[in-house]
Amino acid sequence: MTTLLIVLLLLVGAYFVAVLEAWISRGRFQLAAPLLAGIALLGRESIVPRKPDRIFFEVGPILLLLSALLAAAVIPLTPNLIIADLATGALFVNAALVYVLVALLMAGWGPDGAYAMIGGWRFLGQLIAYAMLIVMPITAVAMRAESLLSTQIVISQADLWNIVYQPLGFILFFVASMALAFLPPFDMMIAKGELAGGVEAEYTGVRLAVFRLGRLVLIVTLAAATVIFYLGGWQGPWLPPWAWSAIKILAVTVAMLLAGRYMPRIREAHLLSWCWILGIPLALTNILIVGVLVLEFP
Amino acid sequence: MTAQMFFIGFFGLAGVWFGIVVFRTYSMVRSALALLFSQTALGAMFLSMQAEFLGVLQIMMMATEMSIMAIFMVMFMMDPGGLGTMDMTHQKRLSLITGFVSFVAAVAVAVFVDWGPVATTFPDAAQQTVDLGLELLNRSMLIFEMAGVTILTAMIAATAVAIQPLKRGKEK
Repeated sequence: MTTLLIVLLLLVGAYFVAVLEAWISRGRFQLAAPLLAGIALLGRESIVPRKPDRIFFEVGPILLLLSALLAAAVIPLTPNLIIADLATGALFVNAALVYVLVALLMAGWGPDGAYAMIGGWRFLGQLIAYAMLIVMPITAVAMRAESLLSTQIVISQADLWNIVYQPLGFILFFVASMALAFLPPFDMMIAKGELAGGVEAEYTGVRLAVFRLGRLVLIVTLAAATVIFYLGGWQGPWLPPWAWSAIKILAVTVAMLLAGRYMPRIREAHLLSWCWILGIPLALTNILIVGVLVLEFP
Repeated sequence: MTAQMFFIGFFGLAGVWFGIVVFRTYSMVRSALALLFSQTALGAMFLSMQAEFLGVLQIMMMATEMSIMAIFMVMFMMDPGGLGTMDMTHQKRLSLITGFVSFVAAVAVAVFVDWGPVATTFPDAAQQTVDLGLELLNRSMLIFEMAGVTILTAMIAATAVAIQPLKRGKEK
């Protein structure tokens, strides 16, 4: 029952992300547009390229959706609304999200098309840039909570949210999760206007619909992860826990989409050098600072 | 207990099967990802054995590592798409003998070593993580650091060996 409810909520969230994205990037607020676009995609012919790697071509979009859903399984929306409160929850989020890379590699390699393949390998380059900036801030969050349980991480922020306690970690995680969700300005593997859709280029019809749905669910999952790691999860005054979760996830999503709106696209090679020369030392500094803080002000 | 045995066996067989697939395909990317799913099956075996942290860690690490291996294989193999007639195997006789001997040795170790009584009680998942952390930072620290440095050295050395040296002054 909980599983069904959470999947339903994720889908509703994904729908709102689609509406918001169109509103922010094109300036048009159309509530029915994603629904119509979805129906149109389902009605369209789903073309298979001439010599595909059939297994990868079919599995890619599904794996993308699946990994976003799996990561959401350990994210608590209220104290009780969680599919599985694993003892390794914070690690599991990352473990599930790594398969986004595998999905995009498959989707890039599978159709046997130049644009798609370049898009897929670009994402691999991007992963090498952002991966450490996902793991290291989570390490610092787990250090404060002294637990990998995601519910415990939320409870540890009862007095002070992590965004105040470890702002450096928040910034790094926020940027890295935008790169993970290949949102602009880190959308080199889709690169509309340059790669003709990149990884998406050879997909049409149902398969494209699944791919896009996977991407939207991924954005919701990452926003939810940011909320439980840094914004105190369901906690807040007056309103019930679920309302706080919803408001915070919405706020993080809008922040991610808005940030992308006003930035120039970053090439993955530049991202790589920024992340390794600046990002990783900052992430290590964050771990050090949090370590000292945890010892001094537990 | 039976369900647990079933899943351990199932994922074990899946791991072996994907291991075989690695050598049955000519596509480098398929080969790398088959190895990934073989390793993921091992992670699932850990999970079936209620070693949660190790299982999740295995599943997480292998996805990144095998994907990176895929790009190295595409870069350095002459026919990454497997469209030609490249053979993935070489030194067949030696490999067969080595493989068979290692298999017999592994089975012998599994059967003949006195593993002691099967543990009936074990710490819960959270406690396992704590115990593992203490183990890694105490007794096993030196071993793990050495393993890490060795692997890094091997990676750099392998890349250096694989790259054709640039002939300076003769470019283009």
